[in-house]
Amino acid sequence: MKKIAIILVSLLILNSGFKIGVDTNSKMKAIFIMNFTKLIEWPQPYREGNFIVGFVGDSPLYSELTRMSKTKKVANQSLQIKKFNSVKDINKCHILYVSQNKSEDINSVVKRLKPHSTLIITEKIGLVDKGAGINFIIKNNRQKFELNKKNVEKYKLKISSNLEALAFTVK
Amino acid sequence: MFIVSILTGSVFGQFVGRDDLSVALFYFKKNELDSAKKYVDLASTNDALKATAKTWYYRGFVYKELYKKKDKENKTSAFRIASIDAFEKMLILNDTSEFTQSAAKILKYEAATLYNDAVRMLDLENYKTALSNYALFRKTMLLADAKTNMVVRDVKFKLALASMLSQPLDSVSRVDSIKTYQVKKLYSEVLAMDVNNPGANYNLGILYYNEAAEIINNMDYDMDIMSLGAVEDYCIEMFLKSLPFMKKSYELEYKRRETLIGMSNIYYGLNDLEKYEAYKKELQDLEKEE
Repeated sequence: MKKIAIILVSLLILNSGFKIGVDTNSKMKAIFIMNFTKLIEWPQPYREGNFIVGFVGDSPLYSELTRMSKTKKVANQSLQIKKFNSVKDINKCHILYVSQNKSEDINSVVKRLKPHSTLIITEKIGLVDKGAGINFIIKNNRQKFELNKKNVEKYKLKISSNLEALAFTVK
Repeated sequence: MFIVSILTGSVFGQFVGRDDLSVALFYFKKNELDSAKKYVDLASTNDALKATAKTWYYRGFVYKELYKKKDKENKTSAFRIASIDAFEKMLILNDTSEFTQSAAKILKYEAATLYNDAVRMLDLENYKTALSNYALFRKTMLLADAKTNMVVRDVKFKLALASMLSQPLDSVSRVDSIKTYQVKKLYSEVLAMDVNNPGANYNLGILYYNEAAEIINNMDYDMDIMSLGAVEDYCIEMFLKSLPFMKKSYELEYKRRETLIGMSNIYYGLNDLEKYEAYKKELQDLEKEE
């Protein structure tokens, strides 16, 4: 009987564990970003070489994008994720992701990217009115995005009508 | 021929006029179980004898001895099953209370062996036999005493079974969806009996969370936004299903550290960063205390 009790107790103390290493929010955002690369058209000079996604600030999304770049391409361009330590380091890139902790730098980012064809993506409410082309928001627990057409097109980028249809709000 | 007929006559002569049940008892007393079995089987097909509780009681007794002496290691022993069936028939006939107490004692012994065998077989290879042994254990316990409270045993067994089924074969393989369904069903059954069971609440919370996390983890980066929306809806549903169970575990202060990780993970999945941060802070405070 003692042995039976031991078997039972040993089974009872085993508990299921959480799936580790799953950053649900970053994975969703990475898939959105992959979609943006397909639904936005960059000017001809940007269709050669690596497709560069620049990153400013700290966010687990950076690791997720790096993981994505190991297996995915944008058309025939290799995907490269480039981290910029500060705004002054930012140079030519196709997309620039500004994480929440660098949101206050948005004005300097916009100035810095003026000569380039870069889609600026942010993740703080209100930034779509301050120069971001796309801003991630949460609505009803779901990941959504706002689109500011003017802030995208001024960088000579063409937006597919499908992207507009999928945006939560279009300005 | 003459010698043979004399010998056979001398053997069977003493049984003249005795019914099969009496012969069975005769052999049983001589510890000749196979012969006892032969005659008790005959008795239980005889129209007059099979209508008495006594016949079924002795059949149950003989088969119990056969199990005990010849088949104890067999976890699906037909002797044990036949013995329980015989006692069940005896109790249905209920024409005398003479054997009831003794039958109940034997049934409890048989129930204990079934329970032990069920627990010993709680592994991925044998759990179906464990399940049928446990079902027979329940039935046998209730035959022995209809007032037996089975809730505590049921809860323990279901938790142990669910826990065993939740363990992947190795660290890489995943628990398949059929097993996940079975495990969820088992924990739900436990909660139907014991709504505040901490283990069932905690594990059910994890199962729903993991279902969503696994889907998200396996999503292809090339998934289109329309499909992503549908998958996200499903995952949010799973996170929301997970939440009340983990919250109950939190309220019950079960595995505080793990439950706090659970709460923060679920809120992160639900994109509720304010609550995610609150539970994360509580976890950090707890870790500081420790």
